[in-house]
Amino acid sequence: MSKQLAVPAKRALPPKEGGLFKELLGYYETRSLKKGVKTADQILKKFPEHAETLCMKGLLLTHMGKREEGIDLVKKGVRLDLTSHICWHVFGLIQKGEKKYDEALKSYIQALKFDRENLNILLDAANLQVHLRIFDSLVETRHTILRLRPNVRKHWIGYALAHHLNGNPLEARKILQHYQIMVKGIPDHDVEHSETLLYLVRVHEELAEFDEALRVLDTGEQNGQIVDRTAVLEARARILSKLKSDESEAAWRVLIDYNPDSYEYYRGYLSNRGINLDDRADSEAALKILINFSTELPKAAAPRRLALNVASGDSFKDLAGTYIRSGLTRGIPSLFADLKALYRDEHKKTAVEEIVEAEHTKHAAEQSTPSEDSEPTTYLWTLYFLAQHYSHLGQYSKALGLLETALTHTPTLPELYTCKARLLKRAGDPIGAAKLLDEARLLDGQDRFLNTKCAKYMLRAGFIEQGNQILGLFTKKDAPSPGSDLEDMQSLLYLEEEADAQYQSGKLHLALKKYMAIQKLFDEVEDDQYDFHGYALRRFTITIYLNLLTWEDQLRSHPSYIKAALHASKIFIAVHDEPALAITDNSEPLTDAEKKAKKKAKKAQKAHEDPKKLTQGANANEDKGLEVPQAKDEDPDGKKLLASPDPLEMAAKFLSPLASLAPGNIDAWIALYDIAIRRKKLLQAIRALKHAKSLDPESPELHIRIIDFALRASDLPQTPPAPIGPLFTSFHSSLFPSLSPSSDSSNPFSTSKLSLETLNSQYLQKHSNSPLGILAVAKVQHRLGSPVGQVEETIFSSLGKGDSGEGLVGFNIKVASRFIEFLASIKSTRVVEYRSACAQRFELSTIFRPIEELNALRTSVVWPAPQAVSTEVKDGNTNGGVDGYIAQ
Amino acid sequence: MNVRTIRVDDLTGMQACNLQNLPENYTIRYYLYHAMTWPSLSFVAEDHKGRIVGYILAKMEEDAGKGEELHGHVTSISVLRSYRRLGLAKKLMEQSQKAMATIYGASFVSLHVRKSNRAALNLYRDTLGFTLKATESKYYADGEDAYAMHLSLKDQGTVARTN
Repeated sequence: MSKQLAVPAKRALPPKEGGLFKELLGYYETRSLKKGVKTADQILKKFPEHAETLCMKGLLLTHMGKREEGIDLVKKGVRLDLTSHICWHVFGLIQKGEKKYDEALKSYIQALKFDRENLNILLDAANLQVHLRIFDSLVETRHTILRLRPNVRKHWIGYALAHHLNGNPLEARKILQHYQIMVKGIPDHDVEHSETLLYLVRVHEELAEFDEALRVLDTGEQNGQIVDRTAVLEARARILSKLKSDESEAAWRVLIDYNPDSYEYYRGYLSNRGINLDDRADSEAALKILINFSTELPKAAAPRRLALNVASGDSFKDLAGTYIRSGLTRGIPSLFADLKALYRDEHKKTAVEEIVEAEHTKHAAEQSTPSEDSEPTTYLWTLYFLAQHYSHLGQYSKALGLLETALTHTPTLPELYTCKARLLKRAGDPIGAAKLLDEARLLDGQDRFLNTKCAKYMLRAGFIEQGNQILGLFTKKDAPSPGSDLEDMQSLLYLEEEADAQYQSGKLHLALKKYMAIQKLFDEVEDDQYDFHGYALRRFTITIYLNLLTWEDQLRSHPSYIKAALHASKIFIAVHDEPALAITDNSEPLTDAEKKAKKKAKKAQKAHEDPKKLTQGANANEDKGLEVPQAKDEDPDGKKLLASPDPLEMAAKFLSPLASLAPGNIDAWIALYDIAIRRKKLLQAIRALKHAKSLDPESPELHIRIIDFALRASDLPQTPPAPIGPLFTSFHSSLFPSLSPSSDSSNPFSTSKLSLETLNSQYLQKHSNSPLGILAVAKVQHRLGSPVGQVEETIFSSLGKGDSGEGLVGFNIKVASRFIEFLASIKSTRVVEYRSACAQRFELSTIFRPIEELNALRTSVVWPAPQAVSTEVKDGNTNGGVDGYIAQ
Repeated sequence: MNVRTIRVDDLTGMQACNLQNLPENYTIRYYLYHAMTWPSLSFVAEDHKGRIVGYILAKMEEDAGKGEELHGHVTSISVLRSYRRLGLAKKLMEQSQKAMATIYGASFVSLHVRKSNRAALNLYRDTLGFTLKATESKYYADGEDAYAMHLSLKDQGTVARTN
């Protein structure tokens, strides 16, 4: 260590103890924890207040799993010597282990004050700075590191990267170029140097220095220094196109030969010719080229499929005919899913229907008089396609008829059951759907895909216990429960479905628990990047690492996060508005299965805990690391969570990333408003409402919020103080320009109930054909205190006019269920009547049957034992193989 | 289906696909580790909505001894049941093998498969040309044996390298 300040007396140790202290540091480096502690104790015996020794001992103890004791010692040490870099460094390590990254960085900065050139501290600080995206300081830190160790290759890259991240690609390029000239003795085929050169190419591209980029690529490839051929080919094609070079077309062509199933390469090839695949005006030109590729590359599926996007009229019919016939003959299960995207074009939809119907007629005739070249499976796949087609178009009885024929033909094809299940689910019979999927699953018990789908359908139909048992057929047997294994494995699908199912069944605590687990999962993935800050530099994989950073910054724009945040805040708002909801009934008797599951979970938990205790005694030297171990969950079913004292704060935290990551999602902005207005954050509330209005001024949910805003503003005792006041006033008058203030109030924002009712009826007039518009109006009527009879009238208008029962556009099963939910919430006596109207409207549905009947239906379902029955693997169901998880 | 090299934003989709298909699962971190170490070896197949319907997660075996031939390893490969029979597994595997050979000079690729998974075994042996090398007893966490399989990459037009 260099250039130390004068050592203060309290830190100085006599030679013997000084030697011991050095030993102590050595023991820490080699993680000889026990020996380290012993040595520390020897020093402390004579110098009980020696701060650095206290910190080191604390650090060692923390590594040994004696966290509390360790951290106490570290804190004591820091207090005793505020100018020791060792004390601050240790403190920083502890904070980093607790994932308090910003506090850790502060400690490191302190440590660096007293030892400016300590490489370990500098490297850790750099990782924290990039983690916290403090790029200007990162540049300084990286500069110091490079100055201290100019001979280490990665530190050059680290310095260039710091400038690049700090928004200065020019400086990054200069450093990389300098490095390139300077570096010597690079062996052939060096992957690390190859990655470095590809990073330089990327920086050149970013600076629009295309000629230079090309030069790096060409020389790099010629002298064997760039080994990633895919990356080279892609970069070259991209750059030549930018340069409008004559060679660009050939470059794209090489890529297409290299991987003839990449859509991007065809896009690139066409766009290089000035042809846009998505522009109708270019269709003919695109089609010609794609047809050529189809002939030249017979194994490639991409050009054939892309051709269907751009073809029209007779050429579409020809191409689609060939495509479909080949798919049916080969028995490709995804054929319909693949072609469905074309249905946006009415003509294409009709053409596809005609083609497959013709096949159907042909093959159906062959069934009675089989000819030599007729293939019974082709007939089966044709029926399957048509069933999906008509199901998609809502022609359920036609689809069911086709499926019956198919099932009689081949009762062992799981796809037929899943297809029928999907139809029933859409038609409002989730129970029937779940039963069918269970049948499908039993046809191929080794297939996890069917297993997962079956469990999902069970959860959606409210069979939560059964669904979890099914999932358990594929989860780890020693896990406390199937759900806990799936949670450990970060299965978003499971967490979402379980949470939604619990929400649906009214168990808000269990639902909230799982939504919060989704939040935690995203936190974990955000933390995951930490180790890669140093790692990527070591491996020189900078190009993909830069993409990692961008991805992490947008992580919570993931649909699962958004959905979880929205649902969780609905629950938080519900318990805030009605705290009684948080009082969960503890006396609820457990079912036998629940009891069994609980017992198993307890047992597994014990098994998990015991070995730890054993090893603790046996091997105190075991390094447990600095990360805080997961504490035992004291609230496994979320009851405490639901009753938490600050539901609004928790919701605000969950939602807050959406303000920047979900700008186009109106539901997110409505939720942000709902939380802000309750937290009395008026500016935030205004901002959210304004934003929602800019997305869709006629949104039904927004209509409800505008009235809500007016009512809440009326309750304000006075104009809020500046700077909020003026903003609030101007926003209020922009929302309600024509509202005359009510005369009997001194409140400037007071609006009469009558004027809000007028607003509501104006909205109804405008939206009397929109089911969700009607629902919003009904909700506002209720809020404004209209008589229940009037609210009911509004609701029933959603069923359409008169006996003809002309339904409103968009009145579907989901919407109908929301009407029923609302009617029930206002304790309407006409729920039964509404349900029965819906039951008539949606013929195949079961969910609108009278509650008692529905409950009877549910309890009458007898599930076969969940054990996987068939261990026989059917040919063609090619699964895949994998490694056991080896932690790296 | 579009077959292409992975991007970072594919990783959650790959992980979801794996969880739906196979009993061996990994956290996102393990996918990240592959992407950040061998960014060009893993591939995905996606449908027109950008949903991942198949993937190959692959790596280089780095603990080969001095003088040993370098080789790649398939950590996990699978295709959603509803997207089978399109030859996607083969296409994914071929792209990955090409990258292993050209970038890293791998001379063969290895993988493990559960002894009981006959369907996968057929795919590797009959469709992709792997041969059985050895049986590794109790390879999987639940105690099941694994077959270790190999496929030579020496016809990939590159010079295989040694450590």
